[in-house]
Parts: sequence; structure tokens; C-alpha cells
Amino acid sequence: MKLEYRKLANQLMFDLSEEEIMELDREFETLLKQIDLLDSIDTEGVEPMVYPFQQATSYLREDEVDEVITQEEALSNVHKTRARHVLVPKVVK
Amino acid sequence: MKYETVIGIEIHCELKTKTKMFSSAPVSFAKQPNSCVNVIDLGHPGTLPCLNKEAVRMAIKACTALNMSIEPLVRFDRKNYYYSDLPKGFQITQQFHPIGSNGFLEIKTDDGIKNIRIERLHMEEDTAKQFHNDFGTMIDYNRAGTPLVEIVSCPDMRSGKEAAAYVEKLRSILYYLDVSDVKMEEGSMRCDVNISLRPEGSEVFGTKCEIKNLNSISNVQKAIEFEIERQSKILDEGGSVKQETRRFDEAKKETVSMRSKEGSVDYKYFPEPNITPILLSEEFIQGAIDTMPELPDSLLRRLTEDYGIGETEANILISTREEIAYFDAVMKHSKNAKLVCNWILGDVSGVINKMNLDFGRCPIKPESLAELIAMIEAKEISSKQAKEVFEAMVEGAEPREYVKEHNMAQNSDTGALTALVNEVLDENEQSIIDFKAGKDRAAKFLVGQSMKKSKGTANPQMANEILMQELAKR
Amino acid sequence: MLKTYQEEVAAKGVKCVAEETLAKAKAVHEKLNNVVTFVDYDDSHLESANKDSYFYGVPIALKDNVNTKGIRTTASSVILDNYIPVYDATITKKLKEAGAILIAKTSLDELGMGGTNKCAATGPVLNPYDLDRISGGSSGGSATIVAANVVPFAIGTDTGDSIRKPASYCGVVGVKPTYGRISRYGIIPYASSLDHVGFFTRSVEDAAKALYTLAGRDDHDMTSSQLPVEDYYALLNSDVAGKRIGVLKNVTDAINDSKIMDQFNALLDKLTEKGAIIDYVELDEALVRTMLPAYHIIANAEATANHSNLDGIRFGNTQEGATMEEVMVKTRTNGFGKLIRQRFVIGSYVLFVENQEKIFRKAQKVRRLLVDQYASFFNNHDAIIAPAAGSGAPLLEGATGIDSLSDEYLIAENHLVINNFTGYPSMTMPLGYTEENMPVGVNISTRPFTEQEMFNIALSVEEITGLKNLHKEVC
Repeated sequence: MKLEYRKLANQLMFDLSEEEIMELDREFETLLKQIDLLDSIDTEGVEPMVYPFQQATSYLREDEVDEVITQEEALSNVHKTRARHVLVPKVVK
Repeated sequence: MKYETVIGIEIHCELKTKTKMFSSAPVSFAKQPNSCVNVIDLGHPGTLPCLNKEAVRMAIKACTALNMSIEPLVRFDRKNYYYSDLPKGFQITQQFHPIGSNGFLEIKTDDGIKNIRIERLHMEEDTAKQFHNDFGTMIDYNRAGTPLVEIVSCPDMRSGKEAAAYVEKLRSILYYLDVSDVKMEEGSMRCDVNISLRPEGSEVFGTKCEIKNLNSISNVQKAIEFEIERQSKILDEGGSVKQETRRFDEAKKETVSMRSKEGSVDYKYFPEPNITPILLSEEFIQGAIDTMPELPDSLLRRLTEDYGIGETEANILISTREEIAYFDAVMKHSKNAKLVCNWILGDVSGVINKMNLDFGRCPIKPESLAELIAMIEAKEISSKQAKEVFEAMVEGAEPREYVKEHNMAQNSDTGALTALVNEVLDENEQSIIDFKAGKDRAAKFLVGQSMKKSKGTANPQMANEILMQELAKR
Repeated sequence: MLKTYQEEVAAKGVKCVAEETLAKAKAVHEKLNNVVTFVDYDDSHLESANKDSYFYGVPIALKDNVNTKGIRTTASSVILDNYIPVYDATITKKLKEAGAILIAKTSLDELGMGGTNKCAATGPVLNPYDLDRISGGSSGGSATIVAANVVPFAIGTDTGDSIRKPASYCGVVGVKPTYGRISRYGIIPYASSLDHVGFFTRSVEDAAKALYTLAGRDDHDMTSSQLPVEDYYALLNSDVAGKRIGVLKNVTDAINDSKIMDQFNALLDKLTEKGAIIDYVELDEALVRTMLPAYHIIANAEATANHSNLDGIRFGNTQEGATMEEVMVKTRTNGFGKLIRQRFVIGSYVLFVENQEKIFRKAQKVRRLLVDQYASFFNNHDAIIAPAAGSGAPLLEGATGIDSLSDEYLIAENHLVINNFTGYPSMTMPLGYTEENMPVGVNISTRPFTEQEMFNIALSVEEITGLKNLHKEVC
């Protein structure tokens, strides 16, 4: 399992140090115990609860242009720009 | 060995809303980069999605046109992956409960009508546009968040031709619904093809390849035809087809491998907690359906069956929404569908093309064209005169006024024509003699003289008939 | 208290009060380390603000996960260290319209993910009652800035108990209203189905005024409620005669501090004297032990997706890299604390196709069972009451010594999570003190959208305890 942690982390676009991996291993031990606790509960026929309140809503936004930010605002927090585009190292798809 | 080709198609189609799927920033093309966005489209921290009503309406129309059942409880899910064109690190889509399911589409094949089943239609949002250069990748977020519908067919197509017919049919339906620009070359409609081969008679599917981002209907067919050959060759040689994503190289006319599909990504779909399920009322759904325009199949039936127009001509008439609308507008004032069709496909189209217009901005008013056609039918003017009147109409003339002003009204009064013909006969005794001697040319000359005397207003057919009668009397 | 500040504003002017408050906030910060960014005086919004509002001219603080246009908002994470929002959260707008004066953005556990406030990019926040102890989190900066008598009001957010726990540890009122009552638009999230916006005050009266100002439908938040907002302050009424109040027995059973229990029982006696009908309610024992595990699974799963936008491409503390992927990896490795990264790994693990049914959806099913059982208490109760915690604020250094699967930890210290599951309104207010003389709170919860009822009972509790305007000067 320990070998898998780095792979899991890299899929989430970050890295873990050796020490962090050791700690994570302990976290997973707790998680497994917690899963055992959950397993002890009979949830046969119970629908997963996704939202605090179940009742459906009806509001939909009217299709009218309302909030637009300026190009300057859109780019104001960007690390690197070029020709008013966000610039990142070449992406190979 | 003989193989059966199995093809399924996924179409992504940008909806023609004014604003994005989940934000009130404008949907737009060819604007300054990063100028049609707001914080939601950029995935700034703390932003929340808010669903566009019109996008839902358009999706309902598309579902209805594709004979699908509509799920009135609208729900969304997250599709999680990291990529620079995906601002939130997830796409909001409808994985578990698509708004439309179990539809079908009729296509014409060499063996007659065939139904292609459509598995699902769901709403989602588009990604940003990337431009790859040597110095790096430039990202424009204007497209991010544009409403999309994804339409997934069942693996029901068996040839490149069927696939092309399916895409063409879908394109024309979405076009007629006015829910999308459906321009494949501009990316407002994008087509991914799944294709596999299996020995004829086999029930088991072979390993499939996905061909991504086909940018025209003809390329759909070409790519499939290439792929059939490629996969048959592999199978004939005893090899096995690799499951992979390929693209179509237009210049070489062949598909090229992009990436292997093995160990494919787990998108970890789960319900979007920020959008509580939305229950669409019956009135809302019906309201959307009620505003649907007539669709191409019905139009074609109406033109061929009700109006007796040939299928080829009918297909041209329905090639744009504006053209058929123009035809229908003319038909409000006319009963002669065939003549109306001929004029629209002929002279009117000529003018439209020459002036580089569409039928929505045709300089000839539909009721004027109907009037012109009515005068032709009533033999008030000759077809030659009609051309002249038409030319004037392009410049803005009213047909009836023009005819009156130019004294063009065709003379169909038997009495008047008889008097006129007799005058001509009296003036040309030699021609009568020639006629009696069997010279047909003499009759033509006399008709010509009669037309000349009437300054072109005489109904030529009547003039001819009366001349013959009067000649017989002499 | 809001009113006191408004009187001061009337006497000295908005600017003077704001500047005095800012100076005090800076001095207090030297002791408590509770502020991320101090905000220079700005009254540009006052002209168009509502001069009759409860907040006009009053200095306030916002938790640093509330977006403020033009003012750095970090969520106490390195990854947002340089983030300057280009938009205001809905509640930022509302507070501006009410004429409040923002003086500080307060510290939190990184991205709201923690209960100690030890995991902030700027370091731990200390408890005004004992500088060797924690404030509790994740809204520790806001809890302490109110407790230390700097401002009368500060915004917090509550995903597990992030307002109500620090409120207990710091001796202030902490309110988490019903899910959907206050808009979440513009709040840097933790877990969307559990996140609530709320606040700290030093009196029930102020809490009623604050909710009136902040609540209401926001079309930017599709989960926000359409129900009308009541004038909670005008309608305040501390009469509890005939009110049926259930004591959550699972919690009282799990608490070992007898001083806390004595004060709690005394409170119950007084409520009974005032005519309230008190009895005990109990959640299924096995089920209640799964509450915290289910919470962690759901919260981490939602969080890992919610924070996928923090990739350094469009904003944030971007790190250089040779490829787009490297930019993301370096930015996120550098930008997130190790605890956050570990939680993301767990959150993503439970969402894998092969794990989802067994772990994530199982947790969501357990959530429903807990919510259904808890909701049934309200068939014959108007409110549920319990001590907010089984102890006072823990010491900064050293482990708590509580095994993470013990009843004391799973139930006594973490029961407040139930109302993040239910979405029901829930508030903590001062109850008294622990054996170690640290403040401890009592928690009151009522039916959804019955904040008026909750405030009414709270007012009665406040009258009984006499702990109104409780605070601790630190300098």
C-alpha cells in the first residue's frame, strides 16, 4: 500500500515526502478501522444523503448577461501572461 | 475474413445561449482573449455554479427532437481531472442522471430507413481554448463554461456512410432547433467516433478505437473507412486491435494513434453538492416543446407530399431555416408550390448568391414574389416579361405597379386581339398567300407582326390561336 | 456589543472608532497571532450604506476564507498567499451595505480543514484565556478577536464544528444557522454539503441582529433558501415556558469533567424552573460512533474536488516548472500543508470507482440514518441541548491523549458534527468554566429555519448564566 500513496498523490498533482508517506500510512490504518465501524451499520435500502435538504428546487438563472469581469481583472492573479492569454509551459495533449 | 463494423458516435454540441452554463458571463466567439469571463468561469475560490434556464430549455428541445424520454429532475455530477484548460479541476456534467435517454434518429441508408438508437443526452460545460506554441501554451478562458450537450448514440451504425448520415441528420435537427451553430469546422459541434470490427455473425464486440475531434462530416466517413481497412488488416494478419485514442490526419487521410486507453483514468464522479436537484415543472417542459420549430423530416414530408415538390428540390429548400421560412412566407399568398419552388431555387437564389445574402435578408418581399407568380399564372404577363419585372423587383419595384407603369399587362381580350390580328392580316396580304401555299414561316411572321403591333402586350398563345382561326376564314 | 460600538461611533465618529479598534487588534494579534491581514480604514462604501442598520460604523472581522475584492484572501494557505480576489463574497457585500467597517481578515486552519487552528500558514492562534492553549478551529482567529474584546462581531464558517467548538473554547456566542440561510457564494469552501457560514458575537441579542443582516436568498448560491428572513432581534422572547428541550444523552454520558456537568445540570434545573420541559434523547450507540468517521469521509472527498481549482494556473502562489504538469505539482506540493495533502489522498481514495460504494456512499447512507434519527427527536421536542465539548481548550503542545476511536473523542468532543449532517441551526454560547478554569459552552439546536426559536431559548440561557458580553482582555 505504501508504494501506492505517492501514485495517489501524483494523480492529485502533488508530492509527498517519505515522512509524510509514513504518516499517511497511519491515517489509512485509522480509515480502515473507521470503515469497519461503518460496515457494522446496516444500510440496506438506505439512499445516500448528498444534500442536507432533500426537497427539489425550481430556480433557474435567466439567460441574461450580468456579471463580466474585465480582461485586466481576469489576468490580475495570473503568474505569467502573453498577448493577454494565460501562459503555461507547453502542454502536450 | 469478412467483418462487420460497429460504430457508435459521441457528439459534443455548443448551445447558442447568451450566457454560460453556470455563469452570467457572455458566450462569444472571436472576442479579445479572456474578456468574456467571470470568476466562475475561471474557477476562482469561493465561486458557485448557477444553472442557465435557456440551456435547459434547449436541451429539452433537443431531447424531444431525438425522441428521448426527459428526466424532469435535473441533477449534476462532478467529473474530476486535472488539466490546464479545466478551471475548477472538475467538469460539471450529468453522469448519473442525463436529462435525455433512450431516443432514436431515422437515417436513410441504401437499404432504406434505419433507426439509430441514442443512449443519452446530457448537459455539461466546455473547457478553455489552448494555443500551443514553441514558447509555451497560451490559454483563453472565453470558451470555458460554454453550455454543451453531449449526445451518445448506441453502437448501431455499420459503415462510414451510415455514420456520416447520422451526423448529418443530427446536425440538421440541431440546426433547425436553433440550439446550436453546429459548425464542425469551428468546433461548435465536435464528433468522436468509436469503431470496432467483429467477424460477421459474431455477437461479441471487438476491441474499439476512439477517433477524436473529427471536424467535418466527410472526414467522419473517411476516417471510418480508413479505420475499417486498418483494423481488418490487423485482424486478417492474426493480430489484435489495440484499444486507443486516435486522430484523423487530414493531409495523409489516415488515422494516427494519440494515446493508449489502457489503465484509463478514474474520473471519480460524484454528485455535485452545490446544485440541489431541480425539478422541472410540466409547464416548463411543455413550454420548451411548444416553441420548437418544424423539423427537417416533417418539412420534407410537407414539401414532397402536400406540395408535390421533388425530393431533390425539397432538400435544397430546407437547407437553411431562412430559405424554408421564405418559401412558407411566399406560400401564404400563393397556391402554386411548384412555380414558387422553381422561382426560389432559380432567380431568387441567383440574386441571394450574387448579393451574398441569406434568405432572411432577401430584397424581394415574399408577397411580391407571390404576386409576380400570380400574374404569370393568370397569363397577365409572359414569362419573358416576368424576368424583366423580377429584375425591377430586385431594385425594389412593386410587380403590379411596374407592369402597369410599363404598360405590360398582357392582352388576353379575345375581341381586341381578333381586331388586332385582322388589322395585321389586312396589311400583309402577301403573307396570307404564302401561308396558304404552305409556307409555315409566314404564320410566324404574322404572329410576330401582331405582337409588335400590340407593343408586346398580346398574349402570344392567344394571338397565335386567333391568327390561325382568322387565316382559316380568309 | 454592536450597540456599544454604535454609541461610540455616534460620539467619536466612524474613523476614530475604526482606527482605535485596528490599533487594539494589532496589539492583541501580538499576543494571540489571530490575524492574517489587517485592513486599512476604508469608508468608501458608507455613503450608500444603510445608516439604520445594526452594523453601521461597527468594526468587524472576517475569517480569511471570505472573499474581499482587492483585499488579499489566503484561507490561511500558502497556495493562496498572494491571491487578491476580484470579487466580494455575498456576505461581504451585505456587510458593506450595512455599513460595517472591516478591520481584519482572521486566521483559520488551512482551508478550514482542522479543529485546532494549529494548521494555519501564519502559525497557531492562541487562546485569550491561556496563551499556552489553542483557540480551537477552524475559525480560531474570528473566535479570539471577538473573545478578546476587539470587535463585537466576526464571520466564521462551520463544516464540522468550526464555529461552535472555538466559541466553546473562547467563551463567546457562535452561531451556525440552517444550511442555506446565509449564502456561501464567495466563501472559499471546505466541503460543500457540510459548509455553513455563521458568526461570533458576545450576546444573543447581537447574534439575532447579525443573522437578520446576513441571511436571505442569494441567486448566486443554488442551495440558498427562498424562505423569508425574520427580524430575529425584534422578535426575541426568552419565555421558555412549555418548551420541550431534549438533552442529548450520548454526549452527557461521554463527558468526564464533573464541573462541566454540574454547571450543565444547574442550567437544566433553572430552565425547568422557568417552565421548560426537559428530558433525555439518545441516538443509537453504534450509529453515533460512526458519525465522525462518516463525516471525515464525506468532508475529505468533497474537499479534494473543491480544491482542485488551486493549481497555480489562473491565480495563487505559482511555482515554476518545465511542463504544465510540473507547475501544478510544484505549486500544490509547496502550497498545501502536509495534513491537507494527506486528507486529499484519503478523500480521493474513497471516491475511486472500486471504493465509492463501500466507503463514500456508505458514509452518505450513514449520514442519512443519523439525520433521520436526529430529526425524529423534533417530533416531540422544540430544541436539543448538550454541552458543546467535554473539556476546555487543549494545550497547544502535546497530544490530547484521547484515543481517536474512544467515546470521549468520537462523541463528547465531536458531536456538533450532527448538525452539519442535518443542516439544522445550531449555536454554542458560554455555559461556564472547566475544572481548569477555561470557558466551556452549551450547544442548542432547533428545527430547520427556526433560528428565532433557537435565539429565544439562548436568550433564556443567557439570562440564567449571566454570561452576556463575556470577554477576556489580553493587553
